[in-house]
Amino acid sequence: MIETYHFQDTDFQQESSRELTLLSIISQSYFQPFSLEDNLLLILTALTSGSGVGFNRVMYFRLDGNRLRGEAWLGPRSPEEARSVWEVLSTPGIGYVEIIEHNRALLSVNEDTLTRRIRKLSFAASGEPCLLPGAVACHRKIVLVRDAAHEPQVDPRLLETIGVDEFLCLPLLARDEVLGVFILDNAFTHNPIQTRDVKLAAICGLLAANYVHTANLYRRLVESEKMAAMGKVAMFITHQIRNPLVTIGGFTDQLMEDGCDEDKQRRNLKIIRDEVRRLEDIVYKVGHFLKVTLKEPVYADVKPALEAAVREGEAAAREKGVLFQVKLEKDPPLVFCDPATLGEVARNLIDNAVEATPAGGKVTLHAHRGKDARAFVLSVHDTGKGISAADKEKLFRPFFTTKEKGMGLGLPFIKRVMDTCGGEVEVRSREGQGTHFLLTFPSQDERRPS
Amino acid sequence: MKRILLVEDEKPLALLYEEELREEGYAVTVVHDSESAVAKLKAEEFDLLITDIRMPGRDGIDLITQVMGLRKTIPIIINSAYQSYKDDFMTWAADAYVVKSSSLAELKAKIKELLER
Repeated sequence: MIETYHFQDTDFQQESSRELTLLSIISQSYFQPFSLEDNLLLILTALTSGSGVGFNRVMYFRLDGNRLRGEAWLGPRSPEEARSVWEVLSTPGIGYVEIIEHNRALLSVNEDTLTRRIRKLSFAASGEPCLLPGAVACHRKIVLVRDAAHEPQVDPRLLETIGVDEFLCLPLLARDEVLGVFILDNAFTHNPIQTRDVKLAAICGLLAANYVHTANLYRRLVESEKMAAMGKVAMFITHQIRNPLVTIGGFTDQLMEDGCDEDKQRRNLKIIRDEVRRLEDIVYKVGHFLKVTLKEPVYADVKPALEAAVREGEAAAREKGVLFQVKLEKDPPLVFCDPATLGEVARNLIDNAVEATPAGGKVTLHAHRGKDARAFVLSVHDTGKGISAADKEKLFRPFFTTKEKGMGLGLPFIKRVMDTCGGEVEVRSREGQGTHFLLTFPSQDERRPS
Repeated sequence: MKRILLVEDEKPLALLYEEELREEGYAVTVVHDSESAVAKLKAEEFDLLITDIRMPGRDGIDLITQVMGLRKTIPIIINSAYQSYKDDFMTWAADAYVVKSSSLAELKAKIKELLER
């Protein structure tokens, strides 16, 4: 015998706090950082625990193309286990995390039984004749089956697995999409399934379906964002590599022409060599940026690393005719950053500053304690061309660059370092007036360790 | 002799184009950024403009907009390392879009076609 119900339910009344608690727990799954599987299991728990809707067991079938595939079967294996589980779940004050833990434990025990059995099952969800449970996904109706053994519309494989005479098939609908089917039964208590149970289960089903739908959308969004980011990286690298390749190819063609004199040959070979080195540099920098794993920050003496960076900076500034002024605190505190990494950060900032500053301009580096004793500030200021407001927003995006031959990887690296050590980066800049980078690291005094 | 203004920020590449196009019998003026290109266009007459897009300072697309503002009817070839900018509708304002290649055959053919038009 079969009874059919509709989702739109006008006479359902939330009489007791039991239902409210249940709905509130299910709603929370939207906002919890647990996996899709954990959250789905929580919804299944709500359907089966004594304090929830009160079904004994629930099967979850996912719609995959036009087939329903078994995913999980939650519930106890015996009346004794059922009683103990429901006691645990009815404990006052039990929260979301405890239920998740409980489910994980239950699943690991049940791995050999319920879920493993159901994962071997799949049913057609289209075509004629379409039997239960596939028909539920096909016709999108809630179906209560009684006296299942004598019901020709039920797939015998389901009957054999579930082993009960009465069960509820609930389609999971989100928008116009069927995501799967829940099958609920009372295998241990043998309580008849009441109209009220069906209606409450229908609401849980809607919540579960919307949860799965949202989670799927979110996953797709993350994937497409990743692909978009990959696309940008690929595009940038293509551009960076194509220019030197075209140059190399073009000058090689000239070399192969008759009448290429010795001076031109030498010049072309030099250009080709320079462009090959540039390609090597691009490959190195991209590889370095993608591969490098930052060392764990520790409180360390960073003075030698800073001094080394300054020495390199002085050479670069001298070559360009830029004045480089340095003020390093004589006895700096211990800074929470891997010293070699901090050296690289300083070199990046100095290189950028020198490059942005025209000959005759000035670059200033200050490294000192902050106003707060637990902060160490590295500040690099230049009198270069400055950064426009529009560019400022994009500064820390990988592969964003305003330089002719820049890769746009220096500042994203600095941002990563500062995030790792819990520091901050501040950029002050005005077009035509120069740029000021202020990096604040956590630090502590050697003499007063905390 | 037809005059070409070439805007290319990559200096070795600009040198290659300059030599190759001179050999084809054109008078070539090279600038490395779009500000200098606008200044040149205001001061002198050219028969063709070849520009890269994605350069430091004002971008090539910006340059095209400015050329249109100058009411110059000069034919424009975009010569870019990016295939994908072809989809940017502003590049449609140019007469041709050639993706950079070490064989300059396509670029030379386009130049010839546009100058004979």
